[in-house]
Amino acid sequence: MNRRKALGSILGLTGIGIVSYVGLKYVSGNSASNKGQLPKYLNLIAELVDVIIPPTETPGAKEAKVQDYIVDFMESCASNKEYNNFFNGLNDLQETCLNTYDASFENCTMEQKMVLLEDLDNNSGSNSLFSKINNKLRGRSFFNLLKTLTIEGYCTSELGTTVHLNYAPVPGKYEAITTINTNQKAWATR
Amino acid sequence: MKNQTEKNTFDAIVVGSGISGGWAAKELTEGGLKTLVLERGRNVEHIVDYTTAFKNPWDFKHRTHLTNEELDERPVQSSHCNAADMHFYVKDSEHPYVQVNPFKWIRGYQVGGRSLTWGRQSYRFSDLDFEANKKDGHGVDWPIRYNDLKEWYDYVEDYVGISGSLESLPHLPDGVFLPPIPMNAIEKYLKESVSKQYSDRLIINGRVANLTERKKGRGQCMYCNLCSRGCPFSGYFSSNSSTLLDAYNSGNLTLRENSVVKEVIYDETKKEAVGVKIIDAITKEEISYYAKIIFLNASAIATAAILLNSVSESFPNGLGNSSQQVGHNLMDHVVNEGTYGTFDGLQDKYYEGRSPGTIFIPRFQNLNNETKNTDFVRGYGIQGKGERENWETKATTGFGASLKAQLQTPGEWKISLGGRGEVLPNYENKISLDYQNRDSWGLPIVKVHFEYGSNELAMMEHMTKTSEEMLVKAGFKNVGSYRNSPPPGSAVHEMGTARMGHDPKTSVLNKHNQMHDVKNVFITDGSCMTSSASQNPSLTYMAITARACKFAIDQFHSNPS
Repeated sequence: MNRRKALGSILGLTGIGIVSYVGLKYVSGNSASNKGQLPKYLNLIAELVDVIIPPTETPGAKEAKVQDYIVDFMESCASNKEYNNFFNGLNDLQETCLNTYDASFENCTMEQKMVLLEDLDNNSGSNSLFSKINNKLRGRSFFNLLKTLTIEGYCTSELGTTVHLNYAPVPGKYEAITTINTNQKAWATR
Repeated sequence: MKNQTEKNTFDAIVVGSGISGGWAAKELTEGGLKTLVLERGRNVEHIVDYTTAFKNPWDFKHRTHLTNEELDERPVQSSHCNAADMHFYVKDSEHPYVQVNPFKWIRGYQVGGRSLTWGRQSYRFSDLDFEANKKDGHGVDWPIRYNDLKEWYDYVEDYVGISGSLESLPHLPDGVFLPPIPMNAIEKYLKESVSKQYSDRLIINGRVANLTERKKGRGQCMYCNLCSRGCPFSGYFSSNSSTLLDAYNSGNLTLRENSVVKEVIYDETKKEAVGVKIIDAITKEEISYYAKIIFLNASAIATAAILLNSVSESFPNGLGNSSQQVGHNLMDHVVNEGTYGTFDGLQDKYYEGRSPGTIFIPRFQNLNNETKNTDFVRGYGIQGKGERENWETKATTGFGASLKAQLQTPGEWKISLGGRGEVLPNYENKISLDYQNRDSWGLPIVKVHFEYGSNELAMMEHMTKTSEEMLVKAGFKNVGSYRNSPPPGSAVHEMGTARMGHDPKTSVLNKHNQMHDVKNVFITDGSCMTSSASQNPSLTYMAITARACKFAIDQFHSNPS
């Protein structure tokens, strides 16, 4: 299968109510029938978040256990719509990997993983008006959810907050105007 | 039986332990009155029960998101609380009410009430506010003026600890202030720009009940900006950190939690109230308590509900309701969703610590002939906050190492502005009781009828327009506003349901906050407000409460019977 064409299916073009052609259990709209299944995808999510926020001189998202946060959030806090978008997105992604690279996402090379996520990112169109309307109707897209939750999970994790960012749980004072130093890290909390 | 009655008899009863009930408790007990404070919710022990105060972001499994289950229990409260402070908000599922029109009734049923989660903004009313009804004919005239309240503002501010700056504005009187919380670089920049661009308005330091200096028994603000979790340093004012502790220390306080007040007991022969009937929230047992003086401080909607449910031969429509005004004239503040803009400059500036305060643009419309607005009467103030974007607010692109770098660096400067406008008293905006639907304690549930009028809508439009204009003129970019305004009630400033006035025919309370019809019942929560002004009202409730308590105590001591 052509990689571009395969990727089309991840981008939500399958739409509401269309059942997958390969027999994966697609669930659309508001049904909650897949709830409870995401823990099975923990490793896949861990690999995904580590591409979005990889280890550099500071820890990556996987080490910060962002995958646990995403599963917890999805299982307990997400709407059924967004849960299904996420769940279906994972399945689509996995299928695309198999079709394109003959390997699961976890077993793809970093370069292949980057190509897959870049395609998702380029097509998520998160700032277009269409996408905003679409978000309201159908919930946020798979990639939008993945990226947003990875950022949130990482920047509120212990490693993200205290190592990657600047965290002062009890500042003790307020210096309203300071001059920024080189390599000034942003405050983790507001 | 006699023993039980004696045991249940006090000099005074205060219903509610929130911001005004706490003051009534302190003043009455310190004035020598054996006082019973009844709180419908659970006890919240100062410091000990601030269970989330020191939690880190990662200590919350779902961060500050509510789970779907928690959300289902809190369809109304959820817009105002998060996983870190939801234990100080009610579950709507346990405390239902009917919204005839959309109206958010945000509640905190616990010792301390909403004083634990309040916004802490504290501004005096002026005669511009106290005279407004009389001048433009909306509502009835306030029976008091600024001079009646001035010394009481002084008194409560000194005790509460309000940080603020002296500005000499006649329509926003200065008070007894601690040093202000300073402005950050962008706030200062906007202040200077507004002063240059406009002769009719200015930006001042917000006046907030956060201690910029230590006070007796209380530590200064630590600038965590997590106030709504409860402050283990007592850095902001709450009933729990202050008034209830002093009431307790007087030796005259009895506090009974889990006590849902059903009604005020009226004695037809004595022609006065003799006590209140409560239902124990847990055991559902009905118990009567007696006192010579009763203060109702249950909050505007709940106090009116208690009055309406207190039916007797003399008052078939509710206690002290010969005017038919009880429950009517419900007001909140009209708020817009907010205006924002980003700023390119000041890239070398940042801040350390998190301000719990705001900047404030005092009312600048309809102050005099020069500032007369033809679209609406009265006015609004604007609260604002400047910050540099961080991961929460920043737009990012891509992923990988470049995304990490974007998250790690301080973002654009951003200012958010939000207006708070006066709501006119309107008889049609009211609460009533739904006797067909009862809560878990068998009490009729509250129905809220509320709609903005054309004056409020015009004001909302104006506050958005002027906010955008100020940012554009100051060179901000990406200036915009959220166009959907939050439903009424969102300011959590409900008031007006038992208004003060000169005339018993058109008002419920006199100038001492006594019910015209039942002189030993005092009401000093938001119910008493004859108009809403545009200032955050808690400070005024506190001053009015202290003033009414002085009167009640003097009366009590001069008529020993």
